[in-house]
Amino acid sequence: MTEALLDLQDIRKNYGAIEALKGVTFSIGMGEVVALLGDNGAGKSTLVKIISGGLEPTSGRILFEGKPFLARSPAEAKAAGIETVYQDLSLCTNVDVVANFFMGREITRKVLGIPVLDERAMEREVAKALADAGTRIPSLRANVEHLSGGQRQAIELNRFVHWGGKLVLLDEPFAALGVEQTRRGLDMIRQVAAQGIGVIIITHIMQQAFQVADRIVVIRQGVVAGDVPTSKTSPDAVIGMITGETLAGTGSAG
Amino acid sequence: MNPRTRRILELVLDNLVWFMLLFVLIIFSLFVPNYFQLGIFANIIEASSVLGVMSIGLALVIITGHMDLSVESVAALSAMTVGILFCSAGIGLGIVLSPEWLMVPVSLLAAIAVGGLVGTINGVLVVKLNMSAFIITLASYIWVRGLVLAVSGGRSAQDLAPAIRWFGIQRFLGLPLTAWIAITCFVVFSFILAKTPFGRHLVMIGGNQTATFRAGIRVNRNLILAFVMAGAIAGLAGWLLAIRTSGATANLGVGLLFNAFAAVVIGGVSLKGGVGSLPGVYAGVLLLSSINTAINLMGLPPTFTQVIHGLLVLAAVLLDTLKQAIRQKLA
Ligand SMILES: Nc1ncnc2c1ncn2[C@@H]1O[C@H](COP(=O)(O)OP(=O)(O)O)[C@@H](O)[C@H]1O
Ligand SMILES: [Mg+2]
Repeated sequence: MTEALLDLQDIRKNYGAIEALKGVTFSIGMGEVVALLGDNGAGKSTLVKIISGGLEPTSGRILFEGKPFLARSPAEAKAAGIETVYQDLSLCTNVDVVANFFMGREITRKVLGIPVLDERAMEREVAKALADAGTRIPSLRANVEHLSGGQRQAIELNRFVHWGGKLVLLDEPFAALGVEQTRRGLDMIRQVAAQGIGVIIITHIMQQAFQVADRIVVIRQGVVAGDVPTSKTSPDAVIGMITGETLAGTGSAG
Repeated sequence: MNPRTRRILELVLDNLVWFMLLFVLIIFSLFVPNYFQLGIFANIIEASSVLGVMSIGLALVIITGHMDLSVESVAALSAMTVGILFCSAGIGLGIVLSPEWLMVPVSLLAAIAVGGLVGTINGVLVVKLNMSAFIITLASYIWVRGLVLAVSGGRSAQDLAPAIRWFGIQRFLGLPLTAWIAITCFVVFSFILAKTPFGRHLVMIGGNQTATFRAGIRVNRNLILAFVMAGAIAGLAGWLLAIRTSGATANLGVGLLFNAFAAVVIGGVSLKGGVGSLPGVYAGVLLLSSINTAINLMGLPPTFTQVIHGLLVLAAVLLDTLKQAIRQKLA
């Protein structure tokens, strides 16, 4: 295997007395899709927030593209090429679809040296990105508060596909999506990975993990309880790892 | 509901305060003797300059989801600073610069700097200590007014330098320059809020601060800037206040905060943050001013003004709730 894109070494995180992560170690390569599985409270979201700059680990080492890396803010993680779709959606419902799509990265043009929002250019790009992904939203100028949960999640998914980067973290991205939209979302992930972008996806649905992931990493009570190629394991074996009924890493070869 | 009625309804909802202003002006013109005159309308605009400017800063902070109760005291402190420096009677030092026009930029800078300084203190405390803006700025409201009383010893400064007062006397298209300054402020800040990334970020921070932080927007920096701007703008309001009264008294501007608050809420700015526009706030300011003028013309005792303003704020908050309910139905 070539050099890992992201290498997590013995990551620990305490929330006061609660040890949410007790030494997590795994890595992901370029263009690889890793499904991160685990029961509620296993520490998956905590891990994602540490990688994306929302939380600082209590201890541990992170290498990104071979170099020591610690994002002290989401802005730093983004600058390094790490895009995140959070479990609780990160949209501002008081502004429109276009404003959300370009949140923090607005296209501007200079008028007398002052940066002014280029609404037309932004709207054009959003329309194109949504059309490419087959997402239909009635009006790009409608405030997001008027959109359904599925439409909101679709906006977030399209947003990460559009911005790309080097590594994408998806924390239960399909929770509010219907069957057809989920299928499209999984397609998007494969397309993104085909461009050489690493993808870590958290999901509760075993079927999705097996459909999209190259590797499955299971977290149980803050430690890695299993790290296996998807082709060498089975849903039953993975469920065993999640609940702790089988030994770590030993799946029935399938 | 067909899309067209829906769009019209949304348009009305978004600009409700302008319709209210128009409605009130028509009613007053019809029923209040001598109301319908160009001079009266000019008067309404003129009388609303100080309040208007102050409301801009307050609105900016409220739109980010915070609060600034200190703007009134800050304006008073700035006015007192200008008064002490450039008034020739009372506690004024009567400093004279030559050429005389130099006193204009110097007094303006002093007023804005004093305001900006208090705004910086507010912003840093709120953002860095993560404390409630309501409490921090309530404290500022008190200590800044205390400072005004302390530096003035409760006395007043009179006879502001003519070069500065010129702005209150010189007219352009029937309005004094002070009114044009207020109008310019509204245009400039409306533009900043609606058309620049900075303004867009303020609105989005008011909508969902976590989301903006995750998107890489420098939330703390933007929030502190909003407080600094609110302070600086309140300082400018104080400068206008000093010109209007040709000096400064220790209790100058008392009560302006509640009027500014009323104007902002009536203007459609939601106290929850993330919603509102500055043209709406200007309409709110004009609405209050129109009502004051009508009360004056009808010869009602001015004490009524306060009752009516209070009821208006109440009506505005109820209206805001009603608007939200209608919007939910539209969605
Ligand atoms: N902000 C927090 N403060 C205290 N405890 C937390 C916080 N966030 C998460 N935890 C705890 O850390 C553990 C891991 O949570 P989380 O990472 O959200 O798990 P998952 O995403 O796998 O369901 C849980 O026990 C949870 O209660
Ligand atoms: Mg989670």
